[in-house]
Amino acid sequence: MVSLVLTGRNDGYGGDFTARFFRTLSFNHQQLSARGIAYELVFVEWAPSPGRPLLLEQLLEAVPEIDPRLFTWYVVDPQYHDALSLNPRLEYLEFLAKNVGVRRARGRFILTSNCDVCLGRHILDVFARGELETGVLYRAPRHDLKQGLERAGIDWNMLEDPAHLAGPAHRLKPPYMGSATGDFVLLDRETFHAIRGFNEVYRVARIGIDRNLLVKALSAGLTIADIGGPVYHINHEGSYRLQPDAYAGRENEAPWGDRRWHSGGVSYMNPDSWGLADAPIRQIGNRRWHLDFAWDAIPPLVNLRRIVLPVARSGGPPPGHYVRKK
Amino acid sequence: MKRLLIRALAVIGLAPARLLASQARLVEELRAGSAAWKAKAGEAIARARSLEAELKDQKKLADRAKNAAEKSTMRDAAVTDLKDRLATAERELVMAREHLMAIEVKLDILEGAANVLDVRTRTAIGKQPRQTGAPV
Repeated sequence: MVSLVLTGRNDGYGGDFTARFFRTLSFNHQQLSARGIAYELVFVEWAPSPGRPLLLEQLLEAVPEIDPRLFTWYVVDPQYHDALSLNPRLEYLEFLAKNVGVRRARGRFILTSNCDVCLGRHILDVFARGELETGVLYRAPRHDLKQGLERAGIDWNMLEDPAHLAGPAHRLKPPYMGSATGDFVLLDRETFHAIRGFNEVYRVARIGIDRNLLVKALSAGLTIADIGGPVYHINHEGSYRLQPDAYAGRENEAPWGDRRWHSGGVSYMNPDSWGLADAPIRQIGNRRWHLDFAWDAIPPLVNLRRIVLPVARSGGPPPGHYVRKK
Repeated sequence: MKRLLIRALAVIGLAPARLLASQARLVEELRAGSAAWKAKAGEAIARARSLEAELKDQKKLADRAKNAAEKSTMRDAAVTDLKDRLATAERELVMAREHLMAIEVKLDILEGAANVLDVRTRTAIGKQPRQTGAPV
């Protein structure tokens, strides 16, 4: 079984987040089901805005064709965001949220992705044929599609038409296979747990944390492989991809943090409590849980010994490179 | 009888003419042979002298080649030594850069933590009621 780990918030990120999410989820569900691929959706609703309906509440109405038994839903108390963040301007701790899901996923393989990412045919075929190997971190290139296309409905014609591409398709370059990493990271659960997920020590930026996982993976001796087919992302307002230089010269104001940190040059060791493992958890429905706030679940603000140099493996690529801060 | 006669003549210092003639021919042959040998010896001596000179030249060339080879070997060793030191310096530079990256990341974390604590402290102080200390 594949655990699809997603995270989101009910604050209308990037314009019409909810509608994009539900359309994408509906499409992915149809394709997974049509191929008989067993999967669970592990959704982490991170620090929801008070006074607005939870995504969970909206989903069941918006996508009734999906069996609710496929979902495991975690709502994380909003106090966790402020307690964990090392940057008051950071709007979303995406990868801490994903770790909550990764830690609790039950599938033999875990795919972390995003709510507006459609799985391509080749990926689905690989799942259906059961061709995944343990100890291999799979990556997929992302094809960005023009804004607004999904309003007419998502189908293969829309996704695969080259005229709909918003720019050149991403290419994955060995050894890291980086570039839009957060949209597709697929690894077996045992290995994902062994490396303890995404970096929770560096909480100053959201951007680059996904790339940093690749450094961790190589340092841990894993293989990074291109699964052989793309995922599709539909552009939207607020997307980093559309405005990477929006905060050039004032990187400390960016809502995703300063992108120039050395995400390619350092590794990390998450504590035992990674993924908010020590958070008190309360059931709020069938396979629905609420992570209540407790200071005991918060790791130290600073734990510098957990930032380490990556290991250069014999015969493998150099694990990082020095990037000068401009 | 003939021999006896030749011996008797030899006693008084005489010899048969035929014998003298053959001996004279022999002497001439020996003289000619000697001259030829002398000439050959002369040639050999000249050749030896020439070879000696050539040997001296070759020896000079060999010495020069040996010096050049020694200098080249010393240069090769110096180049190898420089290459080794360059490789070591490059490795140390890479290591230094990696350590510098880790230090900068740690500084980011410290700066972030300081900013967060600053915000929390201000918030906490801002919530405290103001106290003038004046008795009521």
